[in-house]
Amino acid sequence: MTLSAIQTGAPAPAAGAAERRVLIRTVGLKKSYVKKGVLTEALRGLDVEIYSGEFISVMGPSGSGKSTFFNMIGALDSPSQGRVFIDEVDVAQLTAEELAYLRCQKIGYIFQSYNLIQYMTALENVTTPMAFGGVMPDDARRRGMRILEIVGLKERWFHRPIEMSGGQQQRVAIARSLANNPSVLLCDEPTANLDLHTGQEILDILVRLNKEAKVTIICATHDHRMMNVCDRLMWVRDGRIERVARREDVKIEIGSIGGKRAPAPGGAPS
Amino acid sequence: MNAAKICDSEDLQYSDRFDKRTQPSDFREGGVGAFGYGRTVKPIVIQDQPRLGFFRTVWIAVDGIRYRLFRALVTVAVIAVAVAFLMNILSESFIKRAIARETRDRIARARLVHEWVARLTAPGDAEGTLRELAAGSREAAAEAARFGGFSDGEAAALREAAAMAVRALDYLNGLNYARRRRLVHATSGVDMLAYLATPEGGRAFFETLDRTAALRLPFPREDLQRLLAAWPDTRGRVDRILSGRRAAVARVAAARGARSVLEALAEADGPFGDEIRAAGFAFDADVAPAVAAQARRELDIRAVERGLDVRAVRQLVAQHFDALPGDVTVLQLWRFAEAPERAERMLAALRAAGESRAGLTAGRIAELAAHRREAAALERAARMTFDVGGGWMGLGERLGWLLMVSMLVCAIGISNAMLMTVTERFREIATLKCLGALDGFIMLMFVLESCLLGIVGGVAGAAMPWGDLAIGVGVAVAVGVALAAIAAVYPSFRAARLAPMEAMRVE
Repeated sequence: MTLSAIQTGAPAPAAGAAERRVLIRTVGLKKSYVKKGVLTEALRGLDVEIYSGEFISVMGPSGSGKSTFFNMIGALDSPSQGRVFIDEVDVAQLTAEELAYLRCQKIGYIFQSYNLIQYMTALENVTTPMAFGGVMPDDARRRGMRILEIVGLKERWFHRPIEMSGGQQQRVAIARSLANNPSVLLCDEPTANLDLHTGQEILDILVRLNKEAKVTIICATHDHRMMNVCDRLMWVRDGRIERVARREDVKIEIGSIGGKRAPAPGGAPS
Repeated sequence: MNAAKICDSEDLQYSDRFDKRTQPSDFREGGVGAFGYGRTVKPIVIQDQPRLGFFRTVWIAVDGIRYRLFRALVTVAVIAVAVAFLMNILSESFIKRAIARETRDRIARARLVHEWVARLTAPGDAEGTLRELAAGSREAAAEAARFGGFSDGEAAALREAAAMAVRALDYLNGLNYARRRRLVHATSGVDMLAYLATPEGGRAFFETLDRTAALRLPFPREDLQRLLAAWPDTRGRVDRILSGRRAAVARVAAARGARSVLEALAEADGPFGDEIRAAGFAFDADVAPAVAAQARRELDIRAVERGLDVRAVRQLVAQHFDALPGDVTVLQLWRFAEAPERAERMLAALRAAGESRAGLTAGRIAELAAHRREAAALERAARMTFDVGGGWMGLGERLGWLLMVSMLVCAIGISNAMLMTVTERFREIATLKCLGALDGFIMLMFVLESCLLGIVGGVAGAAMPWGDLAIGVGVAVAVGVALAAIAAVYPSFRAARLAPMEAMRVE
């Protein structure tokens, strides 16, 4: 960790941060759009460190810059100013091919609206990133079936997205994001379009991924259940980080503030 | 300040860690853990994304088309109509070209007698002689050698000089007035070459040529200099040909006596033809009958048309067409003569006026009328096909333009359809890019889709009723595909260039 000395330090470092690698780091991240002559500043300077293997929730009201932040650290969009380092590699310096490789192999994306390819079956949706990654079709199919089995959709592999419910589609999307064993999962409100029960299922899968496979999960959410499962919480407001806190600390606060956020309705680990 | 420093040191570290040769060993079937991961998190190593195979791309494109069948059908229909139109125009141009060839042929054959009348009455001029020699027909060369009394070497030199002279004359004639005036002053025709062959004329010419960058000779300068150096010899030989021909013309004139050339030529398959050959003209024995027949027909036609001067004939025709005798035209005269029984009446009237020709019968007049009608049709065909073989791709100016405009419209139509497809699929494109698709793949996917539609549309268009020319079908299908591919380039380029999130934001 050569750079930890220079780093000003996050307000609340994760537990055991000393031994853990910084997987994603942003330095002075700014993003502004000009639309019809009006300048909109979505991000006004974000400095974040996300450690490998952690489960971090990003919270904040709509328009706070959450999604923009996600796109930046997911190498989907380029910042107006500042830098994004993924495993100490400056994303801005990658070529188009390397960016494609990064998106394909290292980062899994899960979207609020699933974004499955409409004309492909569940299995084809899952195997597409593998095809991009150069996996042989037979291997891809076998592996795709295994991942679908994990998310509980083995029997529905030949269904197209239009024939599946929201929860099933989201599970296909998760399976797809896992296709190439990514190191990071970026989830943009993965449970927002789902009912409580299905949302809980999705959450369980994510937690399992985090605990068993040590996948780093970054999750934007309004879902308060997420607070019960994540390691750290980050609040974003007006394009700035409002607060970063460990889960334990937040729990105490909920008690003291009271009513700002209702405690999770069951299923919360004590 | 601080940030900049971080970035600097980061760059160093970045270059250290950034090792493209390191192969990730992430993908392993027998990995530990539920998701096939190892127990520990591996460092991220970045390398180039491999390219997706062509057939896989085709497969994905086909899948996409199947899903959006209706839109694809619209595009196919546009292409089919365009290709059908193209086929139509191509067939028309093939037919027109055939007509043009046939027409020119027949007109040239019908003019044989006129050509010989001209040759037998005037010796021609120097430029015409040069052009005839440059055209390189063996008969013309032999005839020239006979008239000029050349040795083989002289004839060959003259032929070569003639070819060069024609090129030089064509070049000079093609210049605009001011330039030509600067180069050759007021001279024209063969005199231009004579002027250039004089020392001062040649010097001025080449100086002007060197001074003016825009003037460039379409042939090597040495060839022209050689021609000019030998010009007095060449001119002398041409003059010998001309004088030889003049003597031959005089001899033929003596042979025909008081007859007109046409009348004499009517017997060209007899002794008069031998006279012509004896005078030195290259009058083939096998064209002689054709020339004679044409001459006879020409004489008959003149005899019938003299009927316009006969009051009785005029009245007959005027009666038939319900017109005033003074308004009767040659066309009406021939139309009147088409029916044999009317031709009979006309012949009787002609005979009564003493204007008839020996051997002119009613059947002959009707036959002439039919021939006149045919000649008129030929004339019309020649006028209609005058632009065939020129313009774009030999389609003729008008068709070429029509074709170009129609293809432009078609390409815009396809482009528009593809652009809509792209806009509609922004989200899909964005997703594919998130999954690691390269720009090239996206582009290829769309161009391929368009190509596939182009093949289907092209075949459909070519199979429409008028598609009965094999080459036309091939060309039209190829054009359909090319058109579709070209039209798809811009939309797919737009699609490929999108940043993933920009595309995702567009709903």
